[in-house]
Amino acid sequence: MRHFILLFCLLLAACGKPDTHTDIRMALAQAPINLDPRYATDAASERINHLIYRPLVDFDANSRPQSALATWQQLSPLHYRFTLLAERAPFHDGSTLDAADVEATYSSLLALKDSPHAAEFANIRQVSAPDRNTVDFILHVPDEMFVSRLVIGIMPVEKIASGHDFSRQPVGNGPLGFLSWQGSVRLERVSDRQTYSLQEVRDPTVRVLKLLRGEVDLLQGDLPPELVKYLKQQPGIHLNEVQGSNYSYLGFNLEDAELARPEVRRAIAHAIDRKKILQEVLVGGSRAAAAILPPEHWAGHAALAPYEYDPERARALLQQAGIALPLKLVYKTSTDAQRVRLATVMQAQMREAGIQLEIRSLDWGTFFDDVKHGKFQLYGLTWVGIRTPEIYRLAFHSASVPPAGANRGRYRDALTDELIENSDWQGVSERVHQMLPYVPLWYEGQFVAMRSDLSGYNLKPDGSWDGLATVKKKSKTALKQQP
Amino acid sequence: MSRELPGLRHWPFWVLGFWCLAVVFARLLDWSPFALSPDAIALAHILQGPSWQALLGHDDLGRDILSRILAGAEVSLKVALTVTLVTMTAGVFVGMVAGYFGGWVDRLLMQVTDVFLAFPGILLAIAFAAVLGPGLNNLILALCLTSWVGYARLTRAQALSLRNRQHVQAAESLGAGAPRIMLRHILPLLSAPLVVEATYSIAGLVIAEASLSFLGLGIQAPQASWGSMLRDGVRYMLVAPHYVLAVGLSLMSLVLAVNVLGDKLRDALDVKR
Repeated sequence: MRHFILLFCLLLAACGKPDTHTDIRMALAQAPINLDPRYATDAASERINHLIYRPLVDFDANSRPQSALATWQQLSPLHYRFTLLAERAPFHDGSTLDAADVEATYSSLLALKDSPHAAEFANIRQVSAPDRNTVDFILHVPDEMFVSRLVIGIMPVEKIASGHDFSRQPVGNGPLGFLSWQGSVRLERVSDRQTYSLQEVRDPTVRVLKLLRGEVDLLQGDLPPELVKYLKQQPGIHLNEVQGSNYSYLGFNLEDAELARPEVRRAIAHAIDRKKILQEVLVGGSRAAAAILPPEHWAGHAALAPYEYDPERARALLQQAGIALPLKLVYKTSTDAQRVRLATVMQAQMREAGIQLEIRSLDWGTFFDDVKHGKFQLYGLTWVGIRTPEIYRLAFHSASVPPAGANRGRYRDALTDELIENSDWQGVSERVHQMLPYVPLWYEGQFVAMRSDLSGYNLKPDGSWDGLATVKKKSKTALKQQP
Repeated sequence: MSRELPGLRHWPFWVLGFWCLAVVFARLLDWSPFALSPDAIALAHILQGPSWQALLGHDDLGRDILSRILAGAEVSLKVALTVTLVTMTAGVFVGMVAGYFGGWVDRLLMQVTDVFLAFPGILLAIAFAAVLGPGLNNLILALCLTSWVGYARLTRAQALSLRNRQHVQAAESLGAGAPRIMLRHILPLLSAPLVVEATYSIAGLVIAEASLSFLGLGIQAPQASWGSMLRDGVRYMLVAPHYVLAVGLSLMSLVLAVNVLGDKLRDALDVKR
């Protein structure tokens, strides 16, 4: 009997949680939804996928495409040839990556009718793999941005053929391999077997407390600036900040009688005191924006200046447009506390210019649905992870009104269309800055807060979690040996 | 047998009276040079603690927390009293008709009531608020749609027994019509349990309003509401605990006072005591 009890206790102990003390534990504001790169659209899934999978191309610091898995050459306006690099990591299941995997990934993407990325690749007429290292893409029409689109992670052909569930059990050849997803997502670095645990902690205060208590090792973004300042003062916590590149803006409905007038939109642009907001309500590293693409982007426009805060001028512009003051407008935003806070500040600032803003905070689903269907006057959103100037086509071309694209404000301007068709991105930036279908607000800064036993986390302006691939955790013994 | 200190015996009245007077006083100040400005943003004072200029400190946009608490109290009381008045009228009407007439009328009305009772009230209010959209009027409407069932059930149960009383039968014999009997001979006997029910309902509605605003489905920015203030305050618990404490204690004091008042009223109106 005694032996039986002992055995039972041993079994119980064996069934307990594995010792995850050596894990690098990261707290996420939102858990990933789908780890299949053909379906993932939410920020958390995209960021994890970028660690698990490798795409054909990636981007340099100026957002120019650079080779990740393959080099390329344009054989004709409709024919691109990609040659896989000689040194390439195998898939995490041990199989080697070759051209058949690339072909299978893109062919399966083209065959999927319900993939949110399918439309972006609709221009591909044919994908083929003439040999183990070469992939040919044949297009329907020329597309000079084609290479920049090939950022979908490559998946093994056998798994695709067998209908493997990549959404919950991803297999790629990125720096981090997938271990499990039960509550938290567990990953393992291929190079040194360092393990990671990514757990969702929705409340920002709880995330900070977990970091301070050592229940997690790092967190990135999604904290109000006051908590970031608080963390900076805490012993044992390192906080790094960099300039961000995710673009926040106010969107207008140009089918609205008053907002269709450029003077009114200009007045609103002059009614927002960005400097004050950046100084008091946003995290460090945030900066005023004048265009979707930041100045350091290869297609960015460094000479464009943000609209100055000038309530008198705003008032004059409204009167010049024959608008009876106060101008009453409805601003829609999500129920996120920081978004409502920013909206309230803008509401107070606009009041100075004779604009009476009514804030409507809606749950995310309702809010985004209203935005997509044009049921708004003004709304506030952020473009995340924008890499190519194709965003201008998606957001401002007359042919991109939803569901065809993301021209949610129904902006129609022949000159903008022409500039987009000619790929004159500087010209597009200037025209959009002048016509203001969006009021540019800011690029929100990025930060990471880590416990002092972590080092080597390389923080990126787009808020990606690529730093996990290089971060190191000092062992307890190493820490004890330090003076 | 519990004993209370003589000065504290009537504390729920004092607390409730304090909040009502504070709301009225804040309103009266609007006509004076010392008008409170709960929506005035002062970014330079963000999350500063209590001082002589702001007795309860400043919130996450530098607004005076005391002014906003008073404005939030007005919203809470306005919502609670309006919804109580509307739902009590509607619930009493439904319950009275069902209880007095009985038969298929009773069955039909009670089945509708049961459908509403089958859902947790606050969840139903959240669903209505989400469908109707945020805002004070829609919040009141959402709470009205879910809060009448308690009165209907209570009134029906009482009316079922009261309709067989001799004074009601006497009134019927004398040719009194149904509306007159319900209003003059049954309703007055219902007033005691209804008042107690209303008191509890007010406390529940204050919480419901705060809950919906906490979720962002109630009062919209910049208007002050205890729920939205609590939501914001929780975010800054580590750096500005005065914010969430001030709002939390205000909410607790009002709800506790109304609940205890309900208990006292129930005891006082209980004919068995």
